[in-house]
Amino acid sequence: MNVAEIHGLTVRYGAFTALNNLSVSIPEGCIGLLGPNGAGKTTLLKTILGFVDPAAGGGKVLGFDIATQGKQIRQQIGLMPEQDCHIPGMTAVTFVAYAGELAGMPKEHALRRAHEVLEYCGLGEARYRNVETYSTGMKQRIKFAQALVHGPKLLLLDEPTNGLDPRGRDEMLDLVRSVSHGKGVNVIVSSHLLPDIERTCDEVVLVMNGQLRASGLISELKKIEGHPYDVELREPCPGFADIAVKNGGELLDSRSNTYRIIAPGVREDAVKFLLKCANEAKVQVRGLIPAERSLEDVFLNAISDKPTFDIPGAEK
Amino acid sequence: MSATSPIADLTYRDYDGPMNSADHRWWAIAKMMMRMAIARKGFWACALLSGWFYVVMMVVFYFVDVAQSSVGPAQINYFKTVNWKDQFVTGMSTAQLFLFIVALIIGIGTIANDNRANALLIYLSKPCTKLDYLIGKWVGIFIPIYCVALVPGLVFWAYIAMSFREYGSVSSAPWVPLQLFVISLFPACILASLCVGVSSLFNQGRTAGFTLFGIYFIANIFTKMMQGMHFVAPDNRFITDLFYSSIDGLSFGLSKLAMFTDGSLPMVQKAQAGAEIGRPDAWFMFPAFIAVCALSVWIAWIRIRPVEVVG
Repeated sequence: MNVAEIHGLTVRYGAFTALNNLSVSIPEGCIGLLGPNGAGKTTLLKTILGFVDPAAGGGKVLGFDIATQGKQIRQQIGLMPEQDCHIPGMTAVTFVAYAGELAGMPKEHALRRAHEVLEYCGLGEARYRNVETYSTGMKQRIKFAQALVHGPKLLLLDEPTNGLDPRGRDEMLDLVRSVSHGKGVNVIVSSHLLPDIERTCDEVVLVMNGQLRASGLISELKKIEGHPYDVELREPCPGFADIAVKNGGELLDSRSNTYRIIAPGVREDAVKFLLKCANEAKVQVRGLIPAERSLEDVFLNAISDKPTFDIPGAEK
Repeated sequence: MSATSPIADLTYRDYDGPMNSADHRWWAIAKMMMRMAIARKGFWACALLSGWFYVVMMVVFYFVDVAQSSVGPAQINYFKTVNWKDQFVTGMSTAQLFLFIVALIIGIGTIANDNRANALLIYLSKPCTKLDYLIGKWVGIFIPIYCVALVPGLVFWAYIAMSFREYGSVSSAPWVPLQLFVISLFPACILASLCVGVSSLFNQGRTAGFTLFGIYFIANIFTKMMQGMHFVAPDNRFITDLFYSSIDGLSFGLSKLAMFTDGSLPMVQKAQAGAEIGRPDAWFMFPAFIAVCALSVWIAWIRIRPVEVVG
């Protein structure tokens, strides 16, 4: 089941078209929303939340219509915004409990749940401190906690690791991953940081100029046709590549002592073929791993006007 | 329990408890506003001070009553000269400054501080609409001010009803309790509307507070000028109406209209010529009241924009 189904969505700000006939299905799980600045990611989130009236098109989120059932959608959604935000003059536990009450939780349940969620987010010791005294990392966590307090079915995380130090970033990504895997919470992570997306998400939706450029499982998007392998040799050996090409292989790339080669025939024979070529070249193989593109390559290719390779799941 | 405690349960559990309807979220906002208001010492201090006139009158009435009991009513005929209804108009008038301070304490920062902290994002990402937010903020200011305006008057009425019934404290003004509920509406509506309107224009509660105080101060100077002109031309109705053209004045004038009285100076049997300005014209006061409230709320409405606060 998809958590969101968007059909022909067009959103305009005056003369500027932020989303241009966008159609996308967002499946369950942890989904990365990728795109350069101005691609329309935030507008898509705004539209899902019902902040923006589409000029055309529409869709459903968690089975609710985005045009007419904004309140019901927002009751099932938790938003962790990109920028600093809190309700002034409150301690963390009051703030998170209040966020729960705003979502519709009874007061006593909201308070109990606020304590639980703050503990879970690592703010248990600081829960009675005024939020305004929090550090950047703690403010990120409190935003996460207020988004999570009412047990949303869908979490929208806008740049969740903004301003965090490496350790804080690690902990935040662990939190995101833990709620999105096996806990029944669907997550959409909007981020420019591809390693964050790769670490937390299973699938990505790539948006550019208000249109969908690619979507699908990260592992599928990174896959290179023809089951290539990265062969790491003990030392650089051009002869190995020559032998592989002579025997029907295809050399895609070579860097120092690592060669990316597509073996002929079926996948099962590829390893045997590469080891045979190494044997012929009298060179020791140190590593042999199935090759894939980096997410950065996929991203740059998808947003490029002149893509250098086809991406599975890409919009033509 | 510490997060590092071996028995701390740090795993995430989904919430499966009860959920209220997504409608009427404004009440959650109003409740929180009131909770925060009553947690402030300044609120209670001003709330108590707002009833000072009634306290003074109760003390005066008590001692006069004691004195009258000692020397006999023939010598002191004070209670027969008291205009009971006018005490409530005067009480409402003397409470205005404290009601204004209460509004500054609990209400003026309400939207301005939210603007500074991007709190709108929190509200509007929940099942709250812009209307819920505005109503919640308005009601959260209105109810505390209404109670502060109403309770001292009701207590005073209970005192005089129980102690001075034989002097006509109830029979001469039978509708006073009901009228108190009405006249308390005016300052509460005006101040709540002004607070949300002015607050929405700023990103700092203090700036909004200074602005509202400036408006209050300048309007009061204007009414003092009108009071001076009233001595020169006491029959000019326009000047009489303009005398009530301030934040306090609107509430005061509307109170006189709702109590059907021209008012009198405290402890003066009959208004001396020129000493007390009579009641204003209803056709002037009610449109002015509605205009001030509507304009303030409209300003807040156009200033609250959910789109701006996202990204």
